[in-house]
Amino acid sequence: MSVGGMSAPLSDAATPRRGFGGPALRRFYRHHLALIGGTIILLMVLACAIVPGVLPYTDTFIDIRHRFAPPFTGGHLLGTDQLGRDMLARLLMAGRISLAVGFLAMALSMVIGIVVGLVAGYYGGVIGALFMRFVDAVLCFPTIFLLLAVSALIRPDVTFIILLIACTAWMEVARIVEAQIRALRERDFAVAAEALGASDMRIMLRELLPNAVAPIVVSATLNVAHAILAEAYISFLGYGIQPPTPSWGNMLDNAQSYLSSAPWLAILPGGMIALAVTSFNFLGDGFRDALDPRTDIK
Amino acid sequence: MGRSFSTSSVGLRRREALLLGGAALLSARFAAAAQPSAKPAGQVIVGLSQEPTVFNPLMPAIEVDQGVWWSLFNPLWGVDPQGNFTPQLAREVPSIENGGVSKDGLVWKLRLREGVTWHDGTPFTAEDVKFTLDLINTPGFRAGSRQGHNLLRDVTVTGPHEITWRMERAYSPYVSLLAWVFIVPKHLLGTADDPNTAPFNNAPVGTGPFRWSERVPGDHITLVANERYFGEGPRLERVVFKYIPDLTALYTQFRTGQIDHASIDGILANFYDEAKSLKGRVISVNPSIGLESIAPNHGFPILGEKAVRQALYAGMNKQAIIDVIYYGLPKPAESFLPPEAWAFDAGLPAHRHDPVQANEILDKAGWLRGSRGIRERDGKPLEFALSTTSGNPLREQVQQLLMQDWQQIGVSMTINNKPAAVMWGDFWVKSQFQAALVGSTFMTGNDPDCSYRFNSAAIPAKGGSGSNTYQYVNPEVDRLLQQGQTSFDKAERKAIYQKVQQAVRDDLAILPIYRPSPVEGFKEGLMGYQPNVNVRSNCWNIETWYWAKA
Amino acid sequence: MIGLLLRRGLQALGLLLLVSMIGFAILHLAPGGPLSQFAAGGDMTPADLARIEHQLGLDRALPIQYAEWLRLMLTGDWGRSYRDHQPVLAIIGSHLGATVELMLTSLILAVLLGCWIGVVSAVRRHSWFDTIATVGSMVALSIPTFWFGFIVIYIFSVTLEWLPAGNRYTIGDGSFADHLHHLIAPALVLALVSTASWSRYMRSSMLDVINQDYIRTARSKGLPESRILYRHIVRNALLPMITIAGLQLPTLLGGALVTETVFTWPGMGRLFLDSIGYRDYPTVMGVLMFTATLVLLGSLLADIFYGVADPRIRLN
Repeated sequence: MSVGGMSAPLSDAATPRRGFGGPALRRFYRHHLALIGGTIILLMVLACAIVPGVLPYTDTFIDIRHRFAPPFTGGHLLGTDQLGRDMLARLLMAGRISLAVGFLAMALSMVIGIVVGLVAGYYGGVIGALFMRFVDAVLCFPTIFLLLAVSALIRPDVTFIILLIACTAWMEVARIVEAQIRALRERDFAVAAEALGASDMRIMLRELLPNAVAPIVVSATLNVAHAILAEAYISFLGYGIQPPTPSWGNMLDNAQSYLSSAPWLAILPGGMIALAVTSFNFLGDGFRDALDPRTDIK
Repeated sequence: MGRSFSTSSVGLRRREALLLGGAALLSARFAAAAQPSAKPAGQVIVGLSQEPTVFNPLMPAIEVDQGVWWSLFNPLWGVDPQGNFTPQLAREVPSIENGGVSKDGLVWKLRLREGVTWHDGTPFTAEDVKFTLDLINTPGFRAGSRQGHNLLRDVTVTGPHEITWRMERAYSPYVSLLAWVFIVPKHLLGTADDPNTAPFNNAPVGTGPFRWSERVPGDHITLVANERYFGEGPRLERVVFKYIPDLTALYTQFRTGQIDHASIDGILANFYDEAKSLKGRVISVNPSIGLESIAPNHGFPILGEKAVRQALYAGMNKQAIIDVIYYGLPKPAESFLPPEAWAFDAGLPAHRHDPVQANEILDKAGWLRGSRGIRERDGKPLEFALSTTSGNPLREQVQQLLMQDWQQIGVSMTINNKPAAVMWGDFWVKSQFQAALVGSTFMTGNDPDCSYRFNSAAIPAKGGSGSNTYQYVNPEVDRLLQQGQTSFDKAERKAIYQKVQQAVRDDLAILPIYRPSPVEGFKEGLMGYQPNVNVRSNCWNIETWYWAKA
Repeated sequence: MIGLLLRRGLQALGLLLLVSMIGFAILHLAPGGPLSQFAAGGDMTPADLARIEHQLGLDRALPIQYAEWLRLMLTGDWGRSYRDHQPVLAIIGSHLGATVELMLTSLILAVLLGCWIGVVSAVRRHSWFDTIATVGSMVALSIPTFWFGFIVIYIFSVTLEWLPAGNRYTIGDGSFADHLHHLIAPALVLALVSTASWSRYMRSSMLDVINQDYIRTARSKGLPESRILYRHIVRNALLPMITIAGLQLPTLLGGALVTETVFTWPGMGRLFLDSIGYRDYPTVMGVLMFTATLVLLGSLLADIFYGVADPRIRLN
């Protein structure tokens, strides 16, 4: 269910945890990393939003006389790439794309996952079973197989990549929401609301969903990480976002052939991906502990 | 890596016998120092970036397959680097002069080599040749191209080693086509229930210098010396074709010595400088028969306009593409034919990068600069999308340079790349693209006939049969091409094809960029490597390769 | 137990049917097709292409093609590859060994290393080791596998020349030592992610057990700490790991695909990628069905083993 294992559990949620010692201490410690992660993300977003505007070069300005300038030379802080474009400008513009892909794919996958989970969990029965079997079927494909199969079929532009990633990342959420709703459905407050004549929609959205917010937020954060990585994998396998639009993934695309002559071409975007994904993972982990002290989502 | 087709997957590449740099010198030195041993010895590992999977040489295949075929099979005659036909299974190459072809070009007669045996010991006869030619036209058989072969009539065996046939109409390029047809054994394929799935297809038996040994799918193919080979060689005991799916990995393994010869796509231009300095490796820059060009879709109104094509051509900085992205290796080109072709016209006007002229042409044609500096006419912006195979980094860089070049003359170009299986599907064949960056060849075998590219009857989108996906229409060119196919007179044909080259260049039917220079490499001490522009794989003469004794 | 197995088995079959439909639809509705590679060369005419398309049966309506594929599949005929015309099952078989070799090695590596890290982290909670292991595993889970692979090749193959840059063995050698030498780098790269997640699982599983009553009882009885650790805690903490081994299969398969690509490893992942690129429908469908079956089998086995190992589950 993951691209190269990236959505392997990032925390301990898969196995029930019960009252281990010093939860407050542990939570604080978690928050510590989450804090760092959150700060890095904030800084990244700000940098990508503001800095390109004040740089002397744009990300698409080609200067073939200054190709492969190493970092800290010729007025290029992070050097230039194989067409003489400023690496810093490209990294930041790529960050805009990659982060946007991350956030939008996350948002979309959340919407799909929540809707499917809500409907399946609330109505149960045949519809629920049908929905969840579909989820099971999609989960039978390793994500990367799905990504590959589908990305080979579509136009490789930003919108489609977002759609594609979202389409392969909603199943976990659907499962979480479905389990949560199914459990909450029979609780007193839901039954009471139903007795009072509230509509299905109202019960689902107003009574049940808010109770499932914690795992959804956690899952959402981890999904951003997943989406950023997925974009990189799609690019690596040759179906990524089209040039000249840079993304961290497609900047890495051909970088391996310059590993010996211009290693910064591979190291910088790879490092950015690792940094961003790690930060989101830390944040997600922190959210898990902070939002749900019981941590047990089952 | 995840690129399924070779990076320059379009087009067949044939190479010319020209070793640049130190390679020729080195070879000469070693040739003097070492004599090939009498008994086959040693092995060569050939690295390929695509996997050979088709071992029935009559079925649809790509160029890496052909490299393997040359080791296993023989055609009736081959083509040497100078373009001369060299008899293999036939005793001589038929022509009007030697009586092999009748004056009207309709009746062909062949005499075949005697004493040749298949790898399993069965003698080779005229029946095998008849079977091969007939099989290509057998309805249920998944033959590759039937182009030319569909003109065959009454293939008749007139003796154990004699065969004759008629052609429905005179078709002079057929002798070139036959140089690429490998003869298959009747006694194995003829007895199979279904030649499409016969066991032969995965355990081929030929007449060639090497015998099939084993195949590890997804990894390599091993061939061993055929000691009963009728021709010269083989001098190697074993040849291994190793599949390395990524060009960077291929180069790395060439550099670390895991493969002896980096073939076909070989070494990417960006590794060339480094490769030259490697110890114990010889790098060969091979001119090619192919042409890298911008293929405009003439059915797309903006690019159907000659003035626009002229402006784009003048606005293109060819030299920058060659120098920057391909490290100065390729040669700029004007003609679709390579200089090695006997019909090549060296007198075509040379391209000059001239944005001022480009701007004038567009101004005169009524394309005027609008907002954002993009030209417009009748409210329509001057913009189009340029497509190529996605995941080809060097081509993507070319696109980005062109984008910048053309922006300066007020033309907006966008990039719309697609995976190979999509790019060369209906998108290309049915002319759904606007413009494409492609590498292609324009010859039939080593014959200058290019009807399938430029004849207006060869436009698939209009129901024609051919590869004129540019939808180029020029009645004069049509007439010339028709004339060229029916004539067997070389001088007359040369004049005809030179006129075709002039017309195509003048119309800018395609915007020629450069003639690629594929870089191959091999270990020092490997003798006999000789690039051949007239075949698709430089393993064509692998039977004469050997290791020089240190 | 038998009833459960039967029900799960039937469910799995239904799922496989659904998987095959989704897969078939996605694949065939995609633009492009298996003949594109020949169209690119230009020496095959549209008539040639149309003829071969007809010969392959690709010009029929999609539901008919699917029904035909399913019918043959049910009789055990997985079809033949469009590329080398060999039976799909034989092709999968010839690529399976390489993938199994790589996956098993890295699984063993990951389990041993991951469990060890998990145990030590749990026992010395909040120590330097624990912090580094936590941060390290997070980072490991966040690095693109292929990128890590390039760096490994660059350092150990290109610069230091300690390890081969790819391939499964040296052609003509093929000794055990040679195999092992080639296996090190890809197995380590593939194991990285799994090790990280295994260590996380093990750590939390350990923490679960440590706080159980019977451990406290054992401690109060004065049993030696090492005995408690190995006889009671680690043993019980390993139990849920069995499930995880089954559920990790898709992750490992996906990782293998990428790793095989980077290290030119002739396994199923490469086969799948190449087949997708060439639109070799029968092979792609074959690999899809094969992996889907494996994944389902993995989760089924995980359930069964868990039931066998933990009597409390059986009671439910």
